[in-house]
Amino acid sequence: MTQELTVMMLTWEFPPRIIGGISPHVYHLSKSLTKNGVKVYVVTCDFPGAPQHEIADGVEVFRIDSYKNPSPNFATWVYLMNVNMQKEAAALVNRLDGRVDIFHAHDWLVANAGIGLKHVFRKPLMATIHSTEIGRRNGLHFDYERMIHETEAWLTYEAWKVICCSNYMVSHVRWAFGLPEDKLIMVPNGVNIQEYTENENTDLRQFRRKFASPEEKLVLFVGRLVYEKGIHVFVNAIPSILGKANAKFVIVGNGYMKEPLSNLARGMGLAHKVMFTGFVDDKTLKNLQRCADVSVVPSLFEPFGIVALEAMAAKSPIVVSDTGGLSEIVEHDVTGVKVYPENPDSLSWGITKVLLDEKYAAWIRNNAYKKVLENYDWDKIGRQTTDAYEAVLKEYSRSIWA
Amino acid sequence: MRVIILSWEFPPRIVGQLANYVKELALQLLKRDVETYVVTYHDFLTGEHEEPKGVKTYRVTNPVRTHIGVLTWVLTLNQEVERAVANIYYEADKQINLIDAHDWHFIQAAVTLKKAFNMPFIYSIESLEEHRSHGANYPFNMAIKSIEWLGLYEAKEVIVKSEWMRDEVIRIYKVPIDKIKVIEPNSKTWMKDILETYQSVAGGTMPK
Repeated sequence: MTQELTVMMLTWEFPPRIIGGISPHVYHLSKSLTKNGVKVYVVTCDFPGAPQHEIADGVEVFRIDSYKNPSPNFATWVYLMNVNMQKEAAALVNRLDGRVDIFHAHDWLVANAGIGLKHVFRKPLMATIHSTEIGRRNGLHFDYERMIHETEAWLTYEAWKVICCSNYMVSHVRWAFGLPEDKLIMVPNGVNIQEYTENENTDLRQFRRKFASPEEKLVLFVGRLVYEKGIHVFVNAIPSILGKANAKFVIVGNGYMKEPLSNLARGMGLAHKVMFTGFVDDKTLKNLQRCADVSVVPSLFEPFGIVALEAMAAKSPIVVSDTGGLSEIVEHDVTGVKVYPENPDSLSWGITKVLLDEKYAAWIRNNAYKKVLENYDWDKIGRQTTDAYEAVLKEYSRSIWA
Repeated sequence: MRVIILSWEFPPRIVGQLANYVKELALQLLKRDVETYVVTYHDFLTGEHEEPKGVKTYRVTNPVRTHIGVLTWVLTLNQEVERAVANIYYEADKQINLIDAHDWHFIQAAVTLKKAFNMPFIYSIESLEEHRSHGANYPFNMAIKSIEWLGLYEAKEVIVKSEWMRDEVIRIYKVPIDKIKVIEPNSKTWMKDILETYQSVAGGTMPK
C-alpha cells in the first residue's frame, strides 16, 4: 500500500485506565500494529492524570470527557459517554481530512460511536467482541440485559468483520447473534513476555512478605470480582486445600462481589488466610504473579482468559476451569491443570496437586512458558490483524462507498 | 437552500404539539423554495399515512428494540438519525446548508454531524427538561439537561417560541442573549424570521 493504512481504535479503557482485559489488549495490539507500519489513533475515555492527547510508542491517543455527570445506571452512562466519544472522534477525522481507513470498535461499550462514524465517514467498521452479555449473565433475564445483548447484536450486524480471541468465542458469538461463518475471524489474544522477564533477577522475598509469610504458599487470583469469574468457587475450595497445605490466598481486583466475598471468607473463619488487595498497580501485579506458587482462574464464563497467559508468562503454574477460551489455552497436565467449572472440590484438588508436587509444578510452568513464547506473541497477532484489515479494505474498494 | 429538520415526532406520530408544528414548518419552507428533508422516528404501528407533498421524509426505527427507558431509547435511535442524514448528505453531493433540530432528542446526531461535516445546526426549543420534570434533578433528568446544554453550546443559533422561554434558557443555561431568536409560530413575521435565521446560519458556511 502506497499510503499508510490508518486505523482508529475505539475503546472505553486504555492504560492507565484499566478495568478489564480490553485495556491491555488494545494497548498491545495498537503498539504491534504501529510496528507493522499501521498508523493507529486510539480514542478512549479520560483518566485522572493522563493527558488528553499523547503519542506513546508511536500510537496517538486521544482521551475524551467520559461524561462525568451522574447517570441513572451503567448502560445509560455508556450511551452518554458514546455521545462525547463520537463527537470528538468525528472532529478528529474531520481535522485529518477524512484520512482514516478503518474504525475498529471493542465491545458494545463503543458500539454507538463505531456505528455512527462508519456511516458518517462511510468507512468500514471492524468489531472485536471480547465478551457477551448472554455469556456474562448466563442467559438474558432482564430488559437491561436484553438491551445490551441487542446492542452487541447491532454492532456485529454493522461490522464488516467480527474478530474473536478464541475458537470458543467464535462459535459462541455465531450462536449468540446468528452471524454467518465468514463474518468471523479468530485472532488470539497475546501477552508481552518482556514485561515479565526484564526484572527477572530482582529479589522478591521482601515484597512477598507483604502478602504471605515465608512458610506459606501463595495462591493468587487476579480479576474483576464479579460472578462470572467464579471467585466464590475459589473461596469455597480453600478449607480443603488448607487441610493439606499451608497457604495464603491473595485476591486481586475490584467488583461488586468484593463485600459479599470478604463476608463469606470471614464467615468461614478464613479471614487470616484470605487477603483482598483491591486494585493494585501494574508493577505490584506483575511481581505478585511472579511470586505466586499457583495462579488460579476459576471462571464460570471466560471468552479468552488473558490472566492465564499473564501467569504463564510470569512462570507461575496455573489451575484453570475447563471452560471457554481457557480450555484452548491450557493442555491438561502439560501447560497447566484443568478442573471442572463451578466445582470447589475439583478446584481444590487441582490447586493442592500443584502446591504439593514441586516437580509437577515446574514441569507445567516450563511448558506453559514455552507455549506463550510460540503462540501468543503480539508481533504475530499484529501481523494477523493487519492482514484482516487489508482483506477488508480490498473488499471495501469494490463497494459503492469506495 | 437545502435544510434537514430533525424531530422525534411528525405526523402520523403525534406525541405533543411539535408534530404538527414541524409539518407546517416544512410545508411553509417548501412554498418558499427551500428544499426540505425531515428525519423522524416511525415504528409503523400507526397504520397507513400520506406524506406531506414535496417534503422528503425519512423515518427511522430503533436498531435496539428492548430498552430500560426513554433515555437509552433516544441515545441509540440517534445513530439511525445520523445514518439517515449522512445518506442525504452524500446523495446531495454534500450540499446541505443546515440542520434544524427540534428539542433535545436528536441533538446527539446534530452535534456529531456538525463536527464531521462542518454543517451548522439550529436548536429549536419546544420545551425544556426543567419544566417538563418540574425541576427534578435525578440523574435521569440531569442526563437530559446535559444534552440540552450540549445542544445550546454547539448550536449556531437557538430558536424559541416566546420571550418567556428565551428568559428561561438564559436563566437555566446562561446562553448569551444574542444567540437566541424569539420566533412566534404562525405570527405575521413567522416565516420571514425563520428564513432570515436560516440565511444567517447558512451564510458563508456552504459546505466544502
